Amino acid sequence: MRKEDLIPAEEICVHYNIEHQFISALYESGIIEIVTVKETEYIHCDHLADFERMMRLHRELDINLEGLEAINHLLNQINKLQEDKRKLKNRLDIYE
Amino acid sequence: MDFIDYYQLLEIDKSATKADVKKAYRKLARKFHPDLNPNDKAAQAKFQQINEAHEVLSDPEKRKKYDEFGKDWKHADQFEEARKQQSSAGGFGGGGQSRSYSGNFNDDTFSDFFEQMFGGRARAGGSHRGAHFKGQDFNAELQLRLSEVHKSEKHTISLNGKNIRLTIPAGVENGQTIKIKGHGGPGIQGGPEGDLYITFNILNDTSFRREKENLYSTEEISLSTAALGGEIQVKTFNGQVKLKVKPGTQNGGQVKLKGKGFPKYKKEDQFGDFYIIYKVKIPADLTEKQKELFQELKKTGL
Repeated sequence: MRKEDLIPAEEICVHYNIEHQFISALYESGIIEIVTVKETEYIHCDHLADFERMMRLHRELDINLEGLEAINHLLNQINKLQEDKRKLKNRLDIYE
Repeated sequence: MDFIDYYQLLEIDKSATKADVKKAYRKLARKFHPDLNPNDKAAQAKFQQINEAHEVLSDPEKRKKYDEFGKDWKHADQFEEARKQQSSAGGFGGGGQSRSYSGNFNDDTFSDFFEQMFGGRARAGGSHRGAHFKGQDFNAELQLRLSEVHKSEKHTISLNGKNIRLTIPAGVENGQTIKIKGHGGPGIQGGPEGDLYITFNILNDTSFRREKENLYSTEEISLSTAALGGEIQVKTFNGQVKLKVKPGTQNGGQVKLKGKGFPKYKKEDQFGDFYIIYKVKIPADLTEKQKELFQELKKTGL
């Protein structure tokens, strides 16, 4: 894992104007991953989009943490179903 | 360019109060928010429309202008002049305080109607909607022919005026999305760049059917070849090959040519299989001689 791909959680709190508690809560819910290096917490930039999505839903639709957890679960399911659908659609082509 | 009924979009009537507008908007936003509707372009378009409706109806000045001149938007300039006479304060700045929703997508697409009526700078401003640190992710669709993804090839794609040269790995699938890291919008205040997501739309320009790394081809064989066996020429991706047909081959029967299929995605020098499905041709017009021979065969129990 490249150091430059890791963004300190503190920096994220400043940029998004959020409490550190929100990041910790997302981590505890398994929605985002946190990497700890020398007692400093980081979010990998690949997970930033997930974090931003949850933050938008929290702020813009007033969804609380329990709701975010449920949404995250359902979004993962939608993604999986969409991927399955794509594969099945391609598979159907062989019979046409 | 058509008139847009913002009241209809928010499912409210003209007497709706500011609180009603807000309530209706929030209700619809929960339904159409892009983060809740992944890969749903229709929902995204709807969300942009309701955002636009909210932008207008939640701002008293914009709403007034819309109510007065909405249907007659071409004459909205008159309103502008009248307004200027009343007050020297310029621009519709009120919208900046309204609460708007974002979503990580290009929200810079208010309708021509809006632009014409309120001007491009009248909106609350996409850039400060929500807080952004990571640059915006871009989504693009790339149409390729199946014969073009048989080998890893370099392609140059043009995105927002910039040319991006990238290698498309052989064996990419129809509908598959790949992420090109860092080729999205620039990061904000030192944030990481967004990513570029390319979805492939692969048109099959071959006579083969494909599923992942396997190719399928239907070959017609004569009744006698099916019964007695024989040799046929089969077209594969890499040219013609000779194929022995086993005696007693059934209609719909298939043979596999190992490793003659399509390249496996991101697995260099590994290929799928090529399946040949036999279609036995039943003769429709028999000559007298053939009829006689079939009669003979019939007598033998065939």
